[in-house]
Amino acid sequence: MSATPKPAAPGNFTILYFATATSFTGKNVESLPAPLSLRKLGDVLEERYKGIREGVLGHSLVTINLAYVDVPEEGEDDVIIQEGDEVAIIPPVSSG
Amino acid sequence: MTTQDQVNPPPPEGESSISLPGIYVSLTDFPLDILSIMDKVRSPEAGAIVTFAGTTRNNFASKPVTSLTYTSYRPLALQTLSFIASSLLTKHALKGIAIVHRLGTVPIGEESILIAAAWLAGEEALEECKEKVEVWKREEFKDGGVWRANRDGHQGAEVKEGSKGE
Repeated sequence: MSATPKPAAPGNFTILYFATATSFTGKNVESLPAPLSLRKLGDVLEERYKGIREGVLGHSLVTINLAYVDVPEEGEDDVIIQEGDEVAIIPPVSSG
Repeated sequence: MTTQDQVNPPPPEGESSISLPGIYVSLTDFPLDILSIMDKVRSPEAGAIVTFAGTTRNNFASKPVTSLTYTSYRPLALQTLSFIASSLLTKHALKGIAIVHRLGTVPIGEESILIAAAWLAGEEALEECKEKVEVWKREEFKDGGVWRANRDGHQGAEVKEGSKGE
C-alpha cells in the first residue's frame, strides 16, 4: 500500500481533499478537531471554506478509514468521526 | 467540474500494488508496459490474453489539451480496483486479471490505463474503473486547467446539488 499522510495530532482527525476539493481548499490534507459528528462536517467545512458545500460537497462522497459512509439526514443515526480517523472528500472520479 | 485553478498535485509516490490469487492491480508514477502486465495474467490454461490500453487524448470536445495529470487516493483506489478485478474474475471465470493505472503527468497519446485478462473482460473492466476508481484527471489548456468527472460527460457540465450518492 502507498504511504498515507502521517497520523493527525492527538485530539484531531485527518481529512484528505482530492481534485475539486483540493482546488477549493488549496490543500491536500489537514487536521481538524475530533470527535466530530459526521452530520456537522459540512458545517465545519463551510465555515472554513465558504461555498464548499454547494461547490464541492453537494456532489462528493465521504469516506472514513477507506470505507464510504452515508452522511446522515435529520432523524437518522449519526456517525461520529473519532480522533485518528482518516476522512476523505471524494468528488466524482475521472480515471481511465 | 470546471473549476480552474493552480493547485499542485501531491508528490509522486512511485508504485503501489495489490497481488491476490489471479489478481494484480497497481497504481504507478511510471510509464506503463503492456508486456509486463500480460505476464501478470499469463496462464497456459487460458489460451488467450485480452488486453486493453487506454491512451490520453489531445483534446476535450475539440479544445486542445496541453498536458494531463492524474492524482489518486491510492489506498482506496487500490481497494476499489481489487474489488472490481475480483468480481470480474468470478463473473467471467477468468484465469487472471490485471489492471494498472498510471498517475502523475501522462504525455498526450501515452497509455494511462492497461487491463489484461486471461480471457474476455477488458471492456467491461474499463467501464467499471471509469465509474468507480478514485482517480481524478486534470486537463491543462493554454488558459487554465479543469478537473474532469467521468459522469459529467461533455465539457464537465456542472453537477447539480442533491445528486450525491448516485
